[in-house]
Amino acid sequence: MSEQQAPAERVAIGISFGNSYSSIAFTSGEGKAEVIANEDGDRQIPSMLSYVEGEELHGQQAKAQLVRNPRNTVAYFRDFIGQEFKSIDPTPAHQSAHPAQHDSTIAFNIRDTEEDKQNAVSISDITARHLKRLRTSASDYLGKDVNAAVITVPTNFSDAQKEALVKSAKEAGLEVLQLISEPVSAVLAYDARPEAKLADKIVVVADLGGTRSDIAVIASRGGIYTILATHHDYEVSGFQLDQVLMDYFAKEFLKKNKSAGDPRENERALAKLKLESEAVKKSLSIGTTANFSVESLVNGIDFQATINRTRYELLANKQIGAFVRLVTHAVEKADLDPLDISEVILAGGNAHTPKIASAIGNAFPESTQVIAPTTFPKAINPSELPVRGAAIQASLIQEFELEDIQQSTHPMVTVTPHLSHAVGVLCISDDESRGVFHAIVDAETPLPVRRTAIIATPKEGGDVLIKLAEGARHIKVTKPEPKPKQEKSKSDSDDDSDDDSEEEEEELREKTWKIGKVLSEAALRGVKKGAKVEVQINIGADLSVNAIFREQGGKGGVRGILQASAQAPNGSA
Amino acid sequence: PILSEGWAAEKDFQPIGHLSRAIDRNIEPVGPHFLAHARRKRHKRTFSEDDRI
Repeated sequence: MSEQQAPAERVAIGISFGNSYSSIAFTSGEGKAEVIANEDGDRQIPSMLSYVEGEELHGQQAKAQLVRNPRNTVAYFRDFIGQEFKSIDPTPAHQSAHPAQHDSTIAFNIRDTEEDKQNAVSISDITARHLKRLRTSASDYLGKDVNAAVITVPTNFSDAQKEALVKSAKEAGLEVLQLISEPVSAVLAYDARPEAKLADKIVVVADLGGTRSDIAVIASRGGIYTILATHHDYEVSGFQLDQVLMDYFAKEFLKKNKSAGDPRENERALAKLKLESEAVKKSLSIGTTANFSVESLVNGIDFQATINRTRYELLANKQIGAFVRLVTHAVEKADLDPLDISEVILAGGNAHTPKIASAIGNAFPESTQVIAPTTFPKAINPSELPVRGAAIQASLIQEFELEDIQQSTHPMVTVTPHLSHAVGVLCISDDESRGVFHAIVDAETPLPVRRTAIIATPKEGGDVLIKLAEGARHIKVTKPEPKPKQEKSKSDSDDDSDDDSEEEEEELREKTWKIGKVLSEAALRGVKKGAKVEVQINIGADLSVNAIFREQGGKGGVRGILQASAQAPNGSA
Repeated sequence: PILSEGWAAEKDFQPIGHLSRAIDRNIEPVGPHFLAHARRKRHKRTFSEDDRI
C-alpha cells in the first residue's frame, strides 16, 4: 500500500482511540466537527472485539460478551500496541482475553473462526480489525469511503507505538495523516468553536479515562500550543470509581443474601457487577439516584439496589481527592502556581462526574475556569473532546500532500525558542522599584511573535517615557492578620504546621510581577491629555526586538530595534 | 511615566538591555495557527510578508 491517495480523493475523519472507548468524527461543510454514532447508535464505542462462532462483534455488543464469553473477547488493548510483552501491565485485560508473548510482540489466544481451535491474533491485527470497524461505521454514515484519518494518542506514546499504530491503520485501509496528542486535541476542540476568542493562557487538560488518567499543562499562545508538563497515572482512573461501586453493591448483596457467595469471587458475577457498576456511575453523573439491577448475580439470585449521588460521593471521596492531586501535581511539575492557570479542561468519560469537577475547582483560585458539563454551561461533552479536535485537524490538512504534512511536523519546524520571561512596559512610575509592570508578551511564548497592546498614559499628557522591560511572575503571599481569638490563644501560638483545621485563615495569594532587565527606553513627546499609547512588539526567533510606540490614532511614533545580544549570558534570571 | 527633564536619545529611542536567553521547546503541530507558523517558517517569511499574501 505504498500508493498515496490523491489529496482530492481523500475522505478524512478524526479518530480517538482509547483503551476503553473509541470515537469517530468528521467535519461538516460548514466547518463544524460532528461525532459519528455507529450502527448501534453509540458515539462512545467500546474498544472491544469479541468472537462468537466465528462472528466478529464490536463495540457495545462485544462488551456484553465480557460476561458470557470473556476468553474470546479482546478489551483494553490500546496501550499494548507496539510494546514488548514484558513492558506491559496486563491488569486491565484480566477479565477478558489475556495478552501473551508472541514472537517479539503481543498476541491474544482467541477462537476467532468457526473452527474449534484457538488462534494467536497479534495486537496489530486486533488493532487493524478494530480500526476497520470504526472506518466502516464512518463510511456507512457518510456514504463515502473513508480512507484517511487523524488519530489521537497519549503524550507518552513512544515512536514504536506510533509506528505500530500507523501500520495497523494502513492495514485497515486508513492513511494516517497525522497522530496528534490527546490533550492538545481537546484544546483545539474548544479553540475551534466560532465563539472562542484567542488568548494567551495556560490550560490544564485533565483526561480522566477508564484505565488511566493523563494530565497535561499547555501554554496556549495565539492559538499555538506548547506542552509544559505532563503527568500520567495508571492507578487513579475510572476503574477505581467503578470499584467503589462494585464493593458497595457486593456488600449490600451479601447483607441481604447471607448464604450466597461473594459476587466478586465468581468470575461471571464479577463481570456482571462491573458492567452494571459502570452504568450506575454514568447514571449518577446525570441523575441524583440510580438503580443497580442484575439478573442472577450469584447462585441464580437477582439483585436490585439503589444508590444516591451523595452516598456515592462519600464512598468515592478518597478517589476523587486523588484526581485532584493529579491535577495540582501536574501544575507543580510545570513549575507553575494554580494562579497561573486560566482554564482546566476536563476530558474523558469520568469528567462527567460532577463532584470531580467541583473538587478540582476548589483546588484552584476563582480566576481559574474549570470546563466540565456541570461547571461551565457551554462545555463540550468531555468524552468527545479529543475526537472533535482530531476531526478539525483532519479537515485542516486533508488537502495537503502527506510529504508536506511530514515536513511541517518535523522538529526543524516544531522546535522553537520560547520566551523565558514576559516582556512588557512599565507604567505609572519611571522608578523600577515602584513601577507597575504591564505584560505584553507572556513567558513561554514561542518566537517569532508579534503583540500589540494599548496602555494608558499619565492624565495630564505631555511627554511620556516608555520603558520596555522583562518581568517575572511572582506569587505574593499575604498572611491574614490573626483574628483576635482570645479563648483559643493557645492554638494561635501553636505551630500551624500540624494544625490542619479548616478554621485556619487562608493566606491571601496573588500574582504580582517582579521587574527584571530593562530593555529600552523611548520618549513620546506631546501626548494629548488622556490619550492612549499603542505599543507593538515584534520579537524575532533570534531574540531581536522591534518595538513601535505611537499615540493611538496618531501618526509616526517612535520605533526602535534591539539587536540580540551576541552571546547571551548563561542562566540569567 | 512622565519624561524626565533632559532625557534625550537618538530618534527618542535608547536601547539598554537584551532579552534573556530563550528556551527551546517543542510546539504542537496542531491547529490553524500552527499551520500558518509552519508555512512562514518553511518559506522563511515574516509576519508582515505573510499578511500581504
